[in-house]
Amino acid sequence: MPGILDLIMDAVDIETFVVCRSEEDGRKLVVQLIKDWGFTDVDIVFCQFQGPGARVRGRAYVHRSGDVYGWLKPRDKEA
Amino acid sequence: MNSKKIMLVPLDPVHDVGLKMIRRGLDEAGHETVLLPPDLPVEEIVQEIYNSDANTVLVSRTLGYGVAEILARLVDLLDAMGIRHRVKLGIGGMAIRPELAAELGFDAGFGPGTTVEEAVAFVEGREYKGASFRAGKTKHDITQGHSYAYRHDGIKEKLELIADMVLSWAEGKTSPGVKRAAIRDELWDVQRWRNYEQMTDFLQEYPAHCGELAQNFYKKGIFHPKTRRFTREEAAGLEEYVRRTREEMRVPKLQHSRTKPLVFNQYGTGCPFMDIAHIKVSEAWGVDGVVHFDPSWGARTEGLLDGFLTHQEDGTVITPANLNRIKLALEPSTLWQVRAHRGLNTPETVVLAGQIGADLTKINICYGSLGGGTDPARMTVDAVWAMRYAAKYGLPFDVVTNEELCGVPAYKAFAGMLITTAVGVRLGARPILQPLFCYSPEVMVGLQMQDNYIEFNAAKVMALGQIIDAPIWPGAPVGFLTQSEDRVQSSASTAFHASLAALLGVDGVTIASSDEAYSGGPISVPSKIDTLRAVGEGFRFFGKTSLAPTKDMEIWRDQIVTGIEEVLTKVAEKGDFVQALYDGVLGSREDGAYPGRNGKDTVFPL
Repeated sequence: MPGILDLIMDAVDIETFVVCRSEEDGRKLVVQLIKDWGFTDVDIVFCQFQGPGARVRGRAYVHRSGDVYGWLKPRDKEA
Repeated sequence: MNSKKIMLVPLDPVHDVGLKMIRRGLDEAGHETVLLPPDLPVEEIVQEIYNSDANTVLVSRTLGYGVAEILARLVDLLDAMGIRHRVKLGIGGMAIRPELAAELGFDAGFGPGTTVEEAVAFVEGREYKGASFRAGKTKHDITQGHSYAYRHDGIKEKLELIADMVLSWAEGKTSPGVKRAAIRDELWDVQRWRNYEQMTDFLQEYPAHCGELAQNFYKKGIFHPKTRRFTREEAAGLEEYVRRTREEMRVPKLQHSRTKPLVFNQYGTGCPFMDIAHIKVSEAWGVDGVVHFDPSWGARTEGLLDGFLTHQEDGTVITPANLNRIKLALEPSTLWQVRAHRGLNTPETVVLAGQIGADLTKINICYGSLGGGTDPARMTVDAVWAMRYAAKYGLPFDVVTNEELCGVPAYKAFAGMLITTAVGVRLGARPILQPLFCYSPEVMVGLQMQDNYIEFNAAKVMALGQIIDAPIWPGAPVGFLTQSEDRVQSSASTAFHASLAALLGVDGVTIASSDEAYSGGPISVPSKIDTLRAVGEGFRFFGKTSLAPTKDMEIWRDQIVTGIEEVLTKVAEKGDFVQALYDGVLGSREDGAYPGRNGKDTVFPL
């Protein structure tokens, strides 16, 4: 039976506001956060620094094109 | 059907609009309804039910605060009065979920997004199948209702002259692409292929007309370095996924009260499995059509590959097996476009798309020559044959004007688009005009969009409407160069451009995902949902509102029409359409358009 991450079609995005000093700071913090959660294929899709911090959308790809997709694995009826 | 007696009970202090809408639906369906005043004490409500002969009670409760206690008390009192078994009990509201309703002892719970039809089905004891979703979605012919009659005599005269010029130039000429298309058309049969029959004749002839990459594939079994075959297990998993998805599939309509524009989005993740996943999600969120996006190297390659192949970069390889899998996964209402327009496989792609069962294709001589990298002579002879096959297989095709993104002004790109259109009409095909709704280099410099994105885009559509009665399908995607990596900005911009298309009454529109401007990785599926949701909201917001022409729209419309006629005059005076492409009449090096080199010196006499 696939795990929950297997069922993510392609990517997990996290959208948040980070209190920080610059756009670069905001990017680094969110990349680090997502990596700390165990994701490896991480990028920042969008970052906008204004005033007290940065509005950031970070992304971790779970399945890229050409991968073997977890959501195609057989599932239990209850799943 | 027996008429039911329904008591409608608003438990909130003031909010009873939902119940009023449901009451209207029930009344129209021939049921008897009684609507109690809002905010009665629970004891009084139970007494009203007791005194009535209602067989169904629908309660609404929008506020979340204390909802469980109040509803539980209602059910307890109905039990205590001995009337719970007599009535079917439903509850609806923002805080309601089916699980909560069941837990509290209700027969059904209706949360946000419940339709009147759903409530009526509950009252009538019918299973709700989302009938309005399915019934509203059928496959549309985007060219329907257009006569291709010219509305501008001067332009008509020039286009007919130039169409003659193009056809007589192409007469007696061929290319490897034309030969492969003929082989595909004559020796490859989709039914035999689907029955796993050997295509011996085809395979004997075909590789000899291919380039090195395709020859290596057919003769030595060597794949393109970034492709691989799927395994049997993966294919079985996909079939199961599609089957499971189909069981749950509902295909909503995005256009609200309008019938058009049809909304298309593009797929081309590189992997047909992921494409199918994106398509199924897009269908579930209302897309009317999908556009197959092939890898850029495909346009520079002589010959199509075969097999069920995945590719690890943008663009999904065109092979019979890939297209076939995608075709089989589509909902019956979904229009499917396979682009053929810009490369060395243009006519053969049309043949293959037609055989596999595509609904639409894409062909443009001028963009393919000036922005798509293909040699103008090669592109012309191939496109003429592609249009013949498009007519044969009944595939309408859009004539894209992406050379605008290189810097070619709209009027020049439109002149080229109209030439391809005129040739297509002459060959019995059904071309579709595809102006860009974009923040192009022309307007960046000329400042036509300094204030707004509406007027110049509207002027483009108005200009084309003055010239010919042909379908118009802005793209591709609309809002090109206005979208940023910001998901909200990108979705909003797409929705505004699609709404403009609706207000202008065009036939179709291709939209981007909200990842349009993000280049760091593949487009994610939620980003497709973002823009479909935004476009649906745009259509809901504007409804059937129309757009009044402004002075600037009319000025720019007239400038575009005049510019088109001047360009066509120059092409006609030159007396050689292909030479006009090389010489920059339809887009020059100064504009940013360069005649392509792929396939140079590959046009031969028959």
